[in-house]
Amino acid sequence: MTEPVWRTTAWLVVVCLWLTGCGTARVSVPQQFPVPLVERIPLAMGVELNEALKTWAHTEKLESGREWQIELGSAQEPLFRSLLTGMFDRMTVLEGTPIGDAAVDGVLVPAIEELQFSTPDQTRTEYFEVWIRYRFQLLDRNGTLVAEWPLTAYGQSNARNFGGMQGQEPALQAAALAACRDAMAFFIVQFHQIPAVQTWLTAQQGARS
Amino acid sequence: MTPFPIRLVCGGLVAGALTILGGCVTSTVQEIRETNTGILPTDSIVVLGRRSRPSNAETELDFVSCVSKSVGNGRDKLNVIGEQTFLDAMFPWFEPRTAPVNARDLPRLIGSAPLAARMSELGLRYVVWIDGATRRTEQAGSLTCTASPAGAGCFGFLTWENDSSYEASIWDVRSGTSAGKISSDAVGTSYMPAVIVPLPFIAPVRSSACSTMGDQLKVFLQQKS
Repeated sequence: MTEPVWRTTAWLVVVCLWLTGCGTARVSVPQQFPVPLVERIPLAMGVELNEALKTWAHTEKLESGREWQIELGSAQEPLFRSLLTGMFDRMTVLEGTPIGDAAVDGVLVPAIEELQFSTPDQTRTEYFEVWIRYRFQLLDRNGTLVAEWPLTAYGQSNARNFGGMQGQEPALQAAALAACRDAMAFFIVQFHQIPAVQTWLTAQQGARS
Repeated sequence: MTPFPIRLVCGGLVAGALTILGGCVTSTVQEIRETNTGILPTDSIVVLGRRSRPSNAETELDFVSCVSKSVGNGRDKLNVIGEQTFLDAMFPWFEPRTAPVNARDLPRLIGSAPLAARMSELGLRYVVWIDGATRRTEQAGSLTCTASPAGAGCFGFLTWENDSSYEASIWDVRSGTSAGKISSDAVGTSYMPAVIVPLPFIAPVRSSACSTMGDQLKVFLQQKS
């Protein structure tokens, strides 16, 4: 091998190593979520998904020098469509429509407050872990606040399930997806247990009957 | 001698060595039966990996899918619903946060009309929960590889022991009870000698535990004890 060719090859190897080891690893959550199998609440629910939620992403540089970006925003609309389609008789995504004109009984306003994640290198385990902290507001048909509550969802994924040449991104993606599914499951379990929501549901269903 | 027989002899030696050294796996299977079982041709089962919280342990996904395939294939094959298909169809009731922890939780699930209807639609008869993992329990030896302009090569000897230990809990969805448990354990030692080229002789520990578990599940559910 002549010297210029050898040097070029060496530089290419260095650049490749740098790109794979130190570049930004991007992870986005798949956009398919199952419709929950629950008894539907006989109400029409709207959901307001603002721009901040739909473009939400978390970027963090770890001590190892590697930067991670977890993109959650694009998954939020399919997530809440599936969730509310399963939970309520009718659901509508309010796209700029004023609440009073939307012909809904209530409006859910979700927001992501924070995301944290950990890698196996940090925790000395085999798991990637993701925590997502949501905050929900429930508004009545006039836009008045009925209830507000936080929800922390958790997802983990065993790195050993994604061995070989797949890299770490699929394992973190699986943990983020698990956290999104956990958010849906927790929302379903929690929704009926919030006192202000219980009162509101009883009043709405009483008004209908 | 022509080159062909030499290649044939070498190939035979390597295949023989792989068979002898690669097959060092000891498997044991045990079952505990709590109720009578039986399965109709229209019935289905699902094999799920245990992921309940707050436990941090998760069964490997490929072991769960291996057992599913093992039960769903062969002469006595059963109808097996894929794990993800089942989790999506029953969402959110088998997610880590909400999944039933023991068979005593089954009646509560079966009591829910939408869940009962979906289970009936799927023809679900048994839920099999798999718990366990494969761990490396011992390792020894060393192996060094070098590369130079003149060539590359490795020299040394590595050996390691893997231990697979899995337990399947079988729940009868129709009666809402636990039908029994099957445990499958396999231990095997793998070797990698290297004289220029490393030759791995891998003991198929996990796949052995998987096929033993799958075969025993078929026998257990079809009550051929």
